[in-house]
Amino acid sequence: MPGLGASFGRGAATTYQQDLANSDCILFMGSNMAEAHPVGFRWPMKAKERGATLIHVDPRFTRTSALCDLHIGIRAGSDIAFLGGLVHYVLSHDRWFKEYVLHYTNAATILQEGFKDTEELGGLFSGYHGNRKTGTYDAREGRWGYVGTPAPEEHEEWRGATPMYQMLRHELGMHGHSIEQGAPCHSGPRHELMTMEGRRPVTDPTLQHPRCVYQILKRHFARYTPEFVSQVCGCSPEAMVRVAELLCANSGRDRTSAIVYALGWTQHTTGVQMIRTAGILQALLGNIGRPGGGIMAMRGHSTIQGSTDLATLYDALPGYLPQPCSDELHNNLESYVAHEGLATGYWANFRKFIVSLLKAWYGDAASWENDFRYSWLPRVDADYSHLPYFDRMAKGQVKGYFLFGQNPAGGAPNAGLHRAGLRKLDWLVVVDWFEIESAVFWKDDPTGPPPEQIGTEVFFLPAAAAPEKDGSLTNTQRLLQWHDKALDPPADCRSDAWILYNLGKRLKQLYAGSTEPRDQPLLQLTWDYEFDEHPRLPDGRRSRIEGEPDLEKVLMEINGFRLDDLDPRTGRPRLLREFSELEDDGTTACGCWIYSGVFPQPGRNRARERKRTGHPLEPEWGFAWPHNRRILYNRASADPEGRPWSERKKLIWWSEEQRRWVGLDEPDYDPNTRPDYEPPPGAQGMAAIAGTQPFIMKPDGVAWLYAPGGVRDGPLPVHYEPIESPVGNLLYPKQTGNPTVRTFEGPLNHLAHAPTTEYPVVATTFRLTEHYLSGPMSRFNSWLNELMPEMFVELSPELAAERGIVHGGWLTVRSARSSIAARAMVTRRLRPLLIEGRIVHQIGLPFHWAFAGEVVGANANDLTSIVADPNVSMHECKAFACQVAAGRLDGAAPSPTKSAAAWPTRDPVPDTPAAAQPEGMFGARNGRGD
Amino acid sequence: MHSGYADRTITKAPNWHGLVALDTLFNNMTTGLFLVAALGELAAPALFAEVARVAYPIALALLLADLVCLVLDLGDPLRFHHMLRVFKPTSPMSFGTWCLTVYALPLTVLGLLSILPTHTLDWLRRPAMILGLLPALGTAVYKGVLFSTTAQPGWKDARWLGGYLVTSALLLGAAQLLLLCGVTEQREAAGALRPTLELLLVLNAVILGLLIRDVRATLARAYESTRLSELALLVVGGGVLAPLYLLAVGRPIGLTVAVLLILLVALLVRRVIVRLPHLLPGGRGPGH
Amino acid sequence: MDVLNRVVEPFHRGAPPEPQPATGFYTDTTVCIGCKACEVACKQWNQLPADGFTWLGDSYDNTGGLSATSWRHVKFIEQFPVDPTPAEAAAGADLIDPGRWLMMSDVCKHCVTAPCQQACPTGALIHTEFDNVYIQPDICNGCAYCVAACPFGVITRSALDGHAHKCTLCYDRQRDGLVPACAKACPTQSIQFGSISELRDRARERVARLHEQGIAGAYLYGDAPSTTYSELHSFYLLSDRPSVYGLPDAPFNPWLRMKGDYVRAAVCGLAAIAALLPMLLAR
Repeated sequence: MPGLGASFGRGAATTYQQDLANSDCILFMGSNMAEAHPVGFRWPMKAKERGATLIHVDPRFTRTSALCDLHIGIRAGSDIAFLGGLVHYVLSHDRWFKEYVLHYTNAATILQEGFKDTEELGGLFSGYHGNRKTGTYDAREGRWGYVGTPAPEEHEEWRGATPMYQMLRHELGMHGHSIEQGAPCHSGPRHELMTMEGRRPVTDPTLQHPRCVYQILKRHFARYTPEFVSQVCGCSPEAMVRVAELLCANSGRDRTSAIVYALGWTQHTTGVQMIRTAGILQALLGNIGRPGGGIMAMRGHSTIQGSTDLATLYDALPGYLPQPCSDELHNNLESYVAHEGLATGYWANFRKFIVSLLKAWYGDAASWENDFRYSWLPRVDADYSHLPYFDRMAKGQVKGYFLFGQNPAGGAPNAGLHRAGLRKLDWLVVVDWFEIESAVFWKDDPTGPPPEQIGTEVFFLPAAAAPEKDGSLTNTQRLLQWHDKALDPPADCRSDAWILYNLGKRLKQLYAGSTEPRDQPLLQLTWDYEFDEHPRLPDGRRSRIEGEPDLEKVLMEINGFRLDDLDPRTGRPRLLREFSELEDDGTTACGCWIYSGVFPQPGRNRARERKRTGHPLEPEWGFAWPHNRRILYNRASADPEGRPWSERKKLIWWSEEQRRWVGLDEPDYDPNTRPDYEPPPGAQGMAAIAGTQPFIMKPDGVAWLYAPGGVRDGPLPVHYEPIESPVGNLLYPKQTGNPTVRTFEGPLNHLAHAPTTEYPVVATTFRLTEHYLSGPMSRFNSWLNELMPEMFVELSPELAAERGIVHGGWLTVRSARSSIAARAMVTRRLRPLLIEGRIVHQIGLPFHWAFAGEVVGANANDLTSIVADPNVSMHECKAFACQVAAGRLDGAAPSPTKSAAAWPTRDPVPDTPAAAQPEGMFGARNGRGD
Repeated sequence: MHSGYADRTITKAPNWHGLVALDTLFNNMTTGLFLVAALGELAAPALFAEVARVAYPIALALLLADLVCLVLDLGDPLRFHHMLRVFKPTSPMSFGTWCLTVYALPLTVLGLLSILPTHTLDWLRRPAMILGLLPALGTAVYKGVLFSTTAQPGWKDARWLGGYLVTSALLLGAAQLLLLCGVTEQREAAGALRPTLELLLVLNAVILGLLIRDVRATLARAYESTRLSELALLVVGGGVLAPLYLLAVGRPIGLTVAVLLILLVALLVRRVIVRLPHLLPGGRGPGH
Repeated sequence: MDVLNRVVEPFHRGAPPEPQPATGFYTDTTVCIGCKACEVACKQWNQLPADGFTWLGDSYDNTGGLSATSWRHVKFIEQFPVDPTPAEAAAGADLIDPGRWLMMSDVCKHCVTAPCQQACPTGALIHTEFDNVYIQPDICNGCAYCVAACPFGVITRSALDGHAHKCTLCYDRQRDGLVPACAKACPTQSIQFGSISELRDRARERVARLHEQGIAGAYLYGDAPSTTYSELHSFYLLSDRPSVYGLPDAPFNPWLRMKGDYVRAAVCGLAAIAALLPMLLAR
C-alpha cells in the first residue's frame, strides 16, 4: 500500500477488476490471479478474447501462466531487477508517453542540492544512519526534498521533536498506513520536503537539468540492462526485452496496459519498492487513471481492504489518519494537525476528518473546549504491528490476546515462534468457526510441549459464518458490498459484532458510575447500535439471537451525520451525502471519511445496491470509495486540455457546455475545475491543485516518479537481495539487503543472511485455489479436502534428480528455523535458473496445511522467518533460503483433529424459487429458448 | 509427472465378478440341459423320455440358482422386479430378462410334472416343451451378446462370445444329460449322446478359437505370457482333448470325469472372460 | 403394505412432461483455469460425499475420475518440451516452445444416442424433456450394465446405496428455470449452458476465431455426429487429440455391433443344434 500511496496518493488499487477487460496488455507479476482470484480472472480472459496479450512473470508456471500468452520464469525476490530493467528499457529507448509524463508526473521537478543516489554511495542513499544491515534514513539530512526545501539547520521549530518521537518516526514501522500510505522518514512536518516557492515546485520542462527527476531516474536505472536482469533474475535477456516491447507497444494514446500484483510482491523486505517500481513504470507509460490501465493490487482477503480502511491497524485511525503518538508534537489537536496534515491537495482537509471522527466516537462529550476529546485517543509509544508484537509475546511480555478469525499458530511467518508466544500468554480468546490451530495449539501441536507445561488459559467462542450475519465487505477494488443475514447461527455461535458489542456493553457496565478520568473514554464512547425492532430473517421469522447490534447503524455512523440538522423523516441527525460536507467545527460526525456517501439517505444503503444497469462500470452495484469512483486519478484519462487521449480510451472529459467534467466514471477530481485553471500564489487545499493535475492527494498534484517522502527505504527503488538468499547483490556488492530492514534475530528466529551457502535453494510460498490461507476456512470441508488432501512441495526434475527425490515420494525442507517433510511434486513447471553463471534451484511450498482439521500436514510457515520491512513491517515469506533432501523426518506426524463428515450431510436440498438468482452471462441471455 | 491421460483405460469396469461367472454357467447349464432333453424327447421319445423326466427338475433347479445369482449381483437386490418394468428387446439385458421369464414358465410346468406322481396333466408336457424351445435358445444367446455390446476392453471385441456361450450351453447340456443317463442307467440314450457330445466339443473348441482370436490383444495386456500358456493348456488339454479321449474310450468312470472336466473348464473360461476388463489398470473408478 | 408399495409403485407411470428445447453444455477448455469450482458446486448442490482423501499427485488432479459420487472432474495435462539446459533456457530457449498446461472439466457427455440409456433394462435411464440423459434414482436397481456400456467411463455404481449415479445436468434446477450449478459457478465461463443449437453456433464461432489467431489445433469434440457415434449434448472445445484428455479418439456405439452378434450367436446355436442330429436321429 505505501508503494501506491507514495506514487499516486492513495494506498489502494487504482482501478477495478472488471476494467482489466479493457486492457490491451496485462502483466501479472507477484500474482497468481487465476488461482487466487478465480472469479476476478474472468476479466483478463475477456481481455484475451478481445485480443489482449497476457504476460505472467513468476518463479513458477502456474494455472495463471497456463492461460497467459507468455510466461517468464524469474528468481523469487528479484522483481525490482526485472521491473528496473523494464524502466531502463522505456527510458533508454525513449518509449515513455511524453505529454503525460511532462504534465502528470514530477519528472520535471528539480531536487535540492546534496541528494546522493545509490549509484554514488554503493547502494545507499544520502541520509543513512546505520550499519548497512539495519538502520534508518533521515530524508531531511539526505536532502531528498525538492529544491527550495529548507536545509535542516534552518528549520529550527521542528527540532523540538523529542528523541522518542524521532525514534518512533524513524526506526519503528509506525504510520506506514497513514495519509500517503507512506511512513515519513524524517521528523519534520509531512509537507516539508515538498515545500516549494509559492506552493509550486521548481521544474525544468526541457528535462535537461541534472537534478531534475527525469535525469535522476535515468542515472539511477542506468545499469539495469537486459544482461544485468538476466544475471540476477535467471531469465534470458530476450525475455525481458520481449516483455518491455509488449508493454511499450500497448501504451500511449490509443492503447493501455495494466499491471496486476498481489502478495508475490508485497511479502518481501523490498515489497513496497517493487510496487513503487511498477508505479514508476506505469507513470512513464502513461497508464494510470486510464481505462484498461492502472495497477490492480489484488488483495487476498474478502475484506482486507476494509480492514485497512477502517484501520484495524495499530498505527492508523479510520480513513488512513495517523494514530497520535506519545510525544509533545502530538500533544494537542492543533499541533497534531499542523504536523501531520498537508497544506495543498485534498489532505488539506485533514482537520475536518479527525474532528468528525472524534465526534462520531465521543458524541456530545467532544467539543471545542476539550479539543474534541483528542486526548482520549490512545497514543502509540512503540511498534505494535504483528511481528514485533509476537516477538514481545514470545519473550513473555504480553498477558492476554484476542484472536478474531486469525490463525497465527498456523499461518503466521515463523509459526513456531508464534506458537511459543501463545504458550506464554496468561489467557487467550479465540473466536472462530472451528477449533483451529490457534485454539488447540496447547494439545495438538506435534512440535510443542505437553499441555501440563503450558499455562495459557484458552477460551473458544464459536463464531457465526458469513450467511449468518449482516455486514459489509470491502474488496480489493475498494468496493463495499453489503450482505444480509440469511439464517441464524446455530447453538452458541455468535457474530463477531455481537461478541464485540456485548463485550463493550459489559465493560461499560463494569465501570459505570466511575469518576476516574482514565475511565471516561470508555464510558463516553458512543455505543448504541440496538435494533429499533427485533430483527427478522428474510423469510419473515423472528431471529432467535438476542443482543445483536444493528450494523446498518454502524454503517450510518461511518457514513456520517450533520449534528446540527435533524432529518424530519427520522428525527435523527441528517446523513451526509459525501465527504465534502465534513466540517472541522464539531457540527459533523463521521466514522471513516473515505466511506462517506455510502449511506446518504435513510433507507438507502448503497453498499447493498445490486442494480445492473448495463453501464460498463456498473455504478449502482455496491459503493466504491472514494465517492463511488471506480478508476482513481481518472483526470489523467484526458489530456491537459481536457480532451480524451483517444476515442478508444476515453473515460472522463471536460464539457464546455456543462462546465464540468463528464463521462463514464465519477471524476476523481473537483467536477467544476477547468482544465486551464491555474492556482493563484499561496492557494491552499484543493484550490492549489491546477486543472492539469490529476493526482489530487499529492501536494503537488502529480504522480511521483521520485518520492521525496512517504517511503522509508528510499525515494527510488533499488535492487536488493532478500535477507536470506544464496547469492549476493550483483548491483551493489557492498549492500546485499535492504539497509533499513528490521530483523528480530533470536533463538526462535535464526536467519541465514545472504549470501548463504548452507541453504542454497531458494524457497517461495504459494497458494492453491482449493484451499485458503492456513486452512481454517478450507481444511474442515470434505469437498475441498478431497481436491488437495496433502501438503506437497513443487520442485524441478533437475533438483529431484540431484537429491534422489521421486515424484510422489517424500522430501524434507530445512531452513534456519525448522524442518518439515512433505510429498514431492516433481514438475517441469519449475526450472533451475542460471544466476551469475551458476545454477540456482527454486522450490515452491503451498502454505495451507497445519495440524488442525480434517486433513493435516506439515506447515510451510514453520520454515519462514520474522523480518520486517521498514514501512509496514511486512515479512518476507515469498523468498527465503532452504535446503532440500529426500526422505521423511523422525518424530510424530500430525493426525486429523476432526473426522470426515458423514454422508448424507444434511436434509434434502430445499427447492430454490426461480426468482432467487439472476442468471445470464453478464449481459447476454443464457437460458433455454427465449 | 505425466503426459496426459492417453495411456490409461477410459472406461469403468462394472464390477461383475464371481457371481456373474457363475450366472453364465448356470444359465448355459439350464438352457442347454433343457434344449438337449426337450429336443431329444421330442425327436426320439423312446430313447430320451426317461432321462428327460429327470433332467427337467434339475434344469429348473439350475434356473433358480441362476436367478439367485443374478438377483444377488444387483447393487440393490430388493429392486430386482424393476427389470420387468419395461420390455426393451434392443437392450440385451432386457431381452434376456424376458427370455428368462418366459422360459421359466414351461420349464416350471415340466419340472413340476416330473416330480408330481399324477399323470393327468401329462398332456401339458408336449406343448410345454415346444413353447420352451425358443425362449431357451434366446436365454442362451443373450448372455454373450450382452457382454459384447459394451464398451469394455476385451468384451467389446468379442464378436464370437455369443456364439461360444450358445454352443457351450448345448455342450454342457449334452454333457449333463450324458451324466444323467449314467445315473438313470439309460445306456442306449448314453450311446446316442456320445457322438453328439464329441461333435459339440469340436464345434465349441472351434468357436472358442475364434473368440480367443477376437480378444487376444486384451488377454495379452491382462495376463503375463506364462500365465496365458498355463490357461491355454488347461482349457485345450483339460477341456477339449482329455474329454474327447475319455469319450472315445467310453468307460463309465471316464465319461463322468469327462463331464466334470467340461464343466470345470467351462467355469474357468467364464471367469477369465468376466474378469478381463477388471484386470486392466485404471479400469476401476475412484471409490472402489 | 409398504412391501406392496415397493413392488407396485415402480410400475406406475406419470404423464410425460412437455418436451422443451434441448439444452446442454459447451465447455471451452481454452479458458478453463482449473479452479475446480465446478466440482465443488456440483458436490454442494447435490450433497454428494467426498470420495476420500488420497493424494494422487496427478498434476493437480487428486480425485482421479468421475464416479457415482463425483459428477464433475477436472483433468490436468502438463505438456512441456524436453528440458533445455539452464544455459539454453537463459539464452531464450524458453521463449521458443514454452509448453502448456491443459485443463478440462470432465462430465457426462449426455449423448443424443446414449449407450447407457440403450443398455438400461429397468427404464431408469431416460432422456428428459430437455434431451439430457438422466438416471431416475428410485428405479435403478444397480445392475451396472450402463457402467459397462459407457465408452467415456462416466457412470459407476455407488458403494453406498448400490445404484448408478451421474450428472443429472441439474434436472431439478432446470425445471425451476435455473442454470446448472457447475455452469453457474464457473468463473471464466469455460462451462456454458443453454440451448444446444445456440451453444453450437457460439462454439463454432469461437473455433473460427481461434484459427484466425493462429491456434490451428483448436477443434470441437462431439458437436456433430460421426459415423460411429451420435452428437453429444455436452461437447468440448479441445486443443489436442481427445486421447490426451482421456476421451476416446473415435467413440463407438456398441449397439452398432449388436445385430451382428445376435446373428452369429443364432447361427452358432443352430449349428450346435445341428450337432445334435446324431442323437436326434438315433432310434
